[in-house]
Amino acid sequence: MVVTLEGEIDLQRSPAVRKQLMELMFDSRDVVVDLSGVAYIDSSGIASLVEAYQMARKNNSRFVLAAVSQPAMRVLQLARLDKVFALAETVAAGLKA
Amino acid sequence: MAVVENPTQLPATLADDLDLIAEMTGDFARSYDIEETLRVGLAHISTRMEAEAASLFLMEEGSGELVCRACFGPTDVTGLRLPNGQGIVWRAVSRNATELVQDTRDDPDFAARVDDDTGFRTRSILCAPLSVRDERLGAIELFNKKGGGSFDSDDVRVLQALAASAALALINARQAAAMAERQALSRELALASDIQRAMLPKERCAEFPIHGINLPARGVSGDFFDVVELPGGRLAFAIADVSGKGMNAALLMAKTASLFRCLAKRLDGPGALLQAIDSELAETGSAGMFVTMVAGVLDPATGRVRLANAGHEPPLLCCGARMSRIDEGLPPLGVIPEMFAAGCPESEIDLAGGALYLFTDGLTEADDDGRMLGSLGVERLLTRHRLLPAPERLRAVVAEVAPEGAALKDDLTMLVVEDRRDGPLLRRLYPAVPASLAEVRRAVTGALTAQGLEDSVVGDIILAVDEACQNVVRHAYGGSDSGDMIVELRRKGCELVIDLLDFAAPVDPARVVPRDLDDIRPGGLGTHLIREIMDRVEFLKPPAGAGNLLRMVKGLGNQ
Repeated sequence: MVVTLEGEIDLQRSPAVRKQLMELMFDSRDVVVDLSGVAYIDSSGIASLVEAYQMARKNNSRFVLAAVSQPAMRVLQLARLDKVFALAETVAAGLKA
Repeated sequence: MAVVENPTQLPATLADDLDLIAEMTGDFARSYDIEETLRVGLAHISTRMEAEAASLFLMEEGSGELVCRACFGPTDVTGLRLPNGQGIVWRAVSRNATELVQDTRDDPDFAARVDDDTGFRTRSILCAPLSVRDERLGAIELFNKKGGGSFDSDDVRVLQALAASAALALINARQAAAMAERQALSRELALASDIQRAMLPKERCAEFPIHGINLPARGVSGDFFDVVELPGGRLAFAIADVSGKGMNAALLMAKTASLFRCLAKRLDGPGALLQAIDSELAETGSAGMFVTMVAGVLDPATGRVRLANAGHEPPLLCCGARMSRIDEGLPPLGVIPEMFAAGCPESEIDLAGGALYLFTDGLTEADDDGRMLGSLGVERLLTRHRLLPAPERLRAVVAEVAPEGAALKDDLTMLVVEDRRDGPLLRRLYPAVPASLAEVRRAVTGALTAQGLEDSVVGDIILAVDEACQNVVRHAYGGSDSGDMIVELRRKGCELVIDLLDFAAPVDPARVVPRDLDDIRPGGLGTHLIREIMDRVEFLKPPAGAGNLLRMVKGLGNQ
């Protein structure tokens, strides 16, 4: 299934994002996160993605970041996580992979 | 009251009396025109008590005379005035007791004159005062029991009960009317207060060199401050205090404020300005009212101020830890016009990186643990809050002497004029909570974009500042403990220096380490991001009174 994150994911919003992702991962769903509309994401937002990714590995489900916006990609690179996550150019590609 | 054999069965007359009292009380409670209701009530009472005639007297405010406001029976003496001390009515009122005169011929206080004027023959009188506690409102007077007999002690009790209920109704009606009047007045006062507030200059961003604060003691204020932009970037400012308080002072304040606004742009310098306002006030002023005022002009490019003082509290100049008073000045405006006719002296002040504080006596005379704060007290409070950005600094000083909700004895106004030539690009105070972070990012983005930095550089710096603020929110204050943080941005040559100051307990810098990136765990990322983006990150010794000071430096290259 596709989860769309938009706008500014900061310390104020990341707890809600984390909760939403965790619920899906708990059900062992395959998840593609559409990051095309993310204008800003901080370490707390990235941490939520990392936690979901780790849970997916444990459950053998898929967790893909798709259409990563430029600001989000910059933070992934700074955190050297761009090589860790499964990334897809587009949401459609993420679903197919 | 007589003991009744069967308590469930009331005597017929008593039941009638209770009905009448209940009915009258109901009428009074519903009535908007209390005197009309009293007239109707008087007719009811007379009929029930079988009186040939009755009069209702009310005490007139001011004259203290009893005036007849309603009559029942063959003669109408409405409007009749009884000067103090005359007749049975006054006796009832001054003793505050019901008077029963069974035969008027036996009572020396009976005023036969009224009978002579009207032709009515008064044989007996029953008169009950209208009073609530100690407040005497008037009296109800009944004349001649029908059938030739006299009023008796049962009648006394019934009339007392009816009079008590009427008096309560009268007091209620008067209080309701007074309350309506007070509400109307307070609505007008609130409106005047709104208009006055609209005359004060709008709050500018924290980096603007002049800030002010005004707290009126009552709804309207006799104080004002204003800032007017002059050609060439100079700023004219003024603070003033009108003698007295309330509406008169507010009106004179409005006039002085208008004069300042319109003259500041036309006249050269604060001396000429005070001279012109003085002559205008002297020509059209009201006797005994005067204005103390300081006017000045700041040139932000040189950090110099021209200042003129008319009887106002001497301004305080603060340069670093040194404070000095600017004492020079003339008497207040509107008192001795000849003194200003010869010109008003000006002081020339070099702010030298410091700040000039102007304030009304509402601050210096404010209560400080039972003593007046005084100018030394003002210096003490300014020192205590020196780390805060100007708008918060003024609010903090004022809050020390006027805690929220406390009634002020006098209007309180403060103005600060700062030399911002070497000032930061941004210096703002935020509550250290997650909800502040979006605001921090917006403000920093604005300041950096104004410096012409590339979007990608701005984006990185925003992330670093946000992460540093998060550390303050999450770790320095640690959840339950909360407080403020100050974000400061400076440009030093080709470096951007960002200071983040908090007031939490000191953090051990050794504990703030970037995480090991090979260990993929959520959390611990923030410090790594900061170090990745910034060229230097270090904890400095914070100024006294603060908790932690984090400095982040970013080289801007050729930007």
